[in-house]
Amino acid sequence: MAVCTIHTSTQSLNSRCSLYTPTKTHLGFNQRQVVFYSKRSSSSKRGSSSVITCSAAGDSQTIVIGLAADSGCGKSTFMRRLTSVFGGAAEPPKGGNPDSNTLISDTTTVICLDDYHSLDRTGRKVNGVTALDPRANNFDLMYEQVKAIKDGVAVDKPIYNHVTGLLDPPELIKPPKILVIEGLHPMYDERVRDLLDFSIYLDISNEVKFAWKIQRDMAERGHSLESIKASIEARKPDFDAYIDPQKQYADAVIEVLPTQLIPDDNEGKVLRVKLIMKEGVKHFSPVYLFDEGSTISWIPCGRKLTCSYPGIKFAYGPDSYFDHEVSVLEMDGQFDRLDELIYVESHLSNISTKFYGEVTQQMLKHADFPGSNNGTGLFQTIVGLKIRDLFEQIIATKETAPVEATQA
Amino acid sequence: MATVAGLNLSTPRVFSRTTDSPKAQPLKSPLLNNPWKMPTRFGNGRVYMQPLRAAPESISEKVAKSIKEAEQACEGDPASGECVAAWDEVEELSAAASHARDKKKDSDPLETYCKDNPETDECRTYED
Repeated sequence: MAVCTIHTSTQSLNSRCSLYTPTKTHLGFNQRQVVFYSKRSSSSKRGSSSVITCSAAGDSQTIVIGLAADSGCGKSTFMRRLTSVFGGAAEPPKGGNPDSNTLISDTTTVICLDDYHSLDRTGRKVNGVTALDPRANNFDLMYEQVKAIKDGVAVDKPIYNHVTGLLDPPELIKPPKILVIEGLHPMYDERVRDLLDFSIYLDISNEVKFAWKIQRDMAERGHSLESIKASIEARKPDFDAYIDPQKQYADAVIEVLPTQLIPDDNEGKVLRVKLIMKEGVKHFSPVYLFDEGSTISWIPCGRKLTCSYPGIKFAYGPDSYFDHEVSVLEMDGQFDRLDELIYVESHLSNISTKFYGEVTQQMLKHADFPGSNNGTGLFQTIVGLKIRDLFEQIIATKETAPVEATQA
Repeated sequence: MATVAGLNLSTPRVFSRTTDSPKAQPLKSPLLNNPWKMPTRFGNGRVYMQPLRAAPESISEKVAKSIKEAEQACEGDPASGECVAAWDEVEELSAAASHARDKKKDSDPLETYCKDNPETDECRTYED
């Protein structure tokens, strides 16, 4: 059978299908992998009639994380921070479509949900619908494929080419330890939502979104303040109808707002960022400041720590969010020096670091990423650590109760 | 700027805790004292400096073209599906252009070549 050729040629994509060697992950445990072949028909409506997939029986299932945000709101940066926390660089599939949207590292595979567009660019234009509109997306296929991967079965996932606006031939996605689905609608469809072990929503306020898009686009030929504004405004009704409501389902929301430290500031340079964490989520215990469950307002700048203008302000406390009990941690202002960040890190609890200074180390490592000096970078890094912790907890429960792991 | 005055290490307590811990080693970095002062980010108009212009020509052209088309599509009815879809295309292409710039910024020419030509001699890798 041609099976083995397929898999050896794509071995670099993921180590899960290696046949004889026990794989050692950087997380420090060994797994002996048993491989069986099964035949199933392709769930993709394009192309091949059937694919052979391999799956590691008895292996732990894939953990699925959802990340929702509008285009241009920092999903890519978040993904880079998250995969960095897990160690190893995340890269596009080797030897595949250069316009693939997938990122693969040792533990994690990140897929972009734009790949489930049912209408390509021309199709959306003809029908007058945006990519935000559920009618432009194939949720049945999204559900089928995410479920298959979660169950340990590789899938042929379509590729939406953002350059050409066309759907390219599919790519093989093998079940990783952690699958991240990022895009506009990870929590829109109830079936897909139920597959998520953890979900995050990046909630960027209109003022900040505008400032970020100016930064991103102003140098681009043809763009002007007017075009940037027009694009945001035209997309807003669909955004409000289909994207924004997903935040009620998120286990963690990172809300990005203009600062309150500078009166009437709307430059979008200094940011106030809130990390809203749902209570009672399995394997996820919210971060807190000083005293869990109390309401705290904290200005770290003072005698021990000197901060530059406009300073740094933290707040923490219980709250409710869409009728859910939540804990909210808020940071306004920005870090100007390393000691400020270390000082803040040392006063936060439950951040799931493995050693003192890990948050600071991660932030330093990616000092060139947007937001490394403010709450967006800080909270993205912390959420990354919480996800690592969640993953390790789930693995640990499965190792002690292997029978449970076989259940859906 | 107010930041310059504060560059001395004014909080030795915090630092001594760090250096006491052997695990804090990886924090040593050439960027230690001002890790955030990278030239390409936030700040007084400098944001629009060189690397941003580097999006591959074809995408840049597509962005410019899509903006013109969106403006035309919206002349009649700014709330029409046609107009909204046209501006959505502008957003999609602008995001793609931005991602292409990011990719280009940290790409190694050999890596790029080997991604496309993994079978060539110069791209062979040896496992053992």
